[in-house]
Amino acid sequence: MPADANMKILVVDDMVTMRRIVKNILKQLGFANVDEAENGQEALQKLRIDTYGFVVSDWNMPVMTGIDMLRAIRADEKLKTTPVLMVTAEAQQSNLIEAVQAGVSNYIVKPFTAETLQEKIAKIFK
Amino acid sequence: MHNQEHKLYEELGALARFVDSAMKAISAASPQIMSSSSQLPAAASHLSDLSKMTEDGTLEVMRLTEMIQDHHGQIAKDLSAVGEILRAMDCATLAGRLGNVTSVLAQNGKCLTEIMTALSFQDLVAQRVKKLVAILDDVQGKLMELVVVFGLQESSEATHDTGTAGYILKQLEESKTTAMKQKVADDILAQFGFK
Repeated sequence: MPADANMKILVVDDMVTMRRIVKNILKQLGFANVDEAENGQEALQKLRIDTYGFVVSDWNMPVMTGIDMLRAIRADEKLKTTPVLMVTAEAQQSNLIEAVQAGVSNYIVKPFTAETLQEKIAKIFK
Repeated sequence: MHNQEHKLYEELGALARFVDSAMKAISAASPQIMSSSSQLPAAASHLSDLSKMTEDGTLEVMRLTEMIQDHHGQIAKDLSAVGEILRAMDCATLAGRLGNVTSVLAQNGKCLTEIMTALSFQDLVAQRVKKLVAILDDVQGKLMELVVVFGLQESSEATHDTGTAGYILKQLEESKTTAMKQKVADDILAQFGFK
């Protein structure tokens, strides 16, 4: 099933520049319905109120990290099937394994290209 | 028994002399330690400023890039409409040339997206700056422990920013204000006939 261009996507990152980059690429890929959150906690609040088809999240964030948010999503009956793509500078194998064990849908290492994001989204929604 | 006591006293004496000499060495380094300790918050602050400066610059480049992307989108729409009209009027050559322009626009669009993604360097820089600031905070904390444990006193020498680090920090501090003085420079230049 290809990704629905109308689905609402949540971009989670404490850096405004990264949120804007991801939003811009998503827009170029045809996804215009994009919302933002500055950390995992804010993201969880939004996810529990609204319906999102996909989450793109950073790892290192204050208040609640991306990995903790991912665990909370997977533990939540209503949210557990939401695809979560981690976009992070944490390129260590141990981090990747931790993310996979926590139920990440895919993983991108910064810096990345628009093609990589497109490829990962295609893999998640294939 | 007497010999053992004598040896113990000798060892205690050597230990006391070592502690005394260590205390003197630390005391002699006291002004530098105090100076370094007082410079660290300023250095951390400059690093944070650096992060903010790259963020501001990056956001401005993003704003302009997004503006060009929007313009490209509009131009592509208009070109497509004109192309359809030309094809309907049987002007295949002109329609073909418009098609080439559209293709160049699409290539530019790709470049603009690459510019946007290349700006993620700012996030990586900011993360490293954050780590450096945390390290500086930690070092300052340890230096302060040293000050407290060894009772180092702030001497008059220590109150000044001594050495190269102090000089560089002073320059950095001054550069914060000089960046705002273009108008003053222009006024002076105007007095010399620059317009």
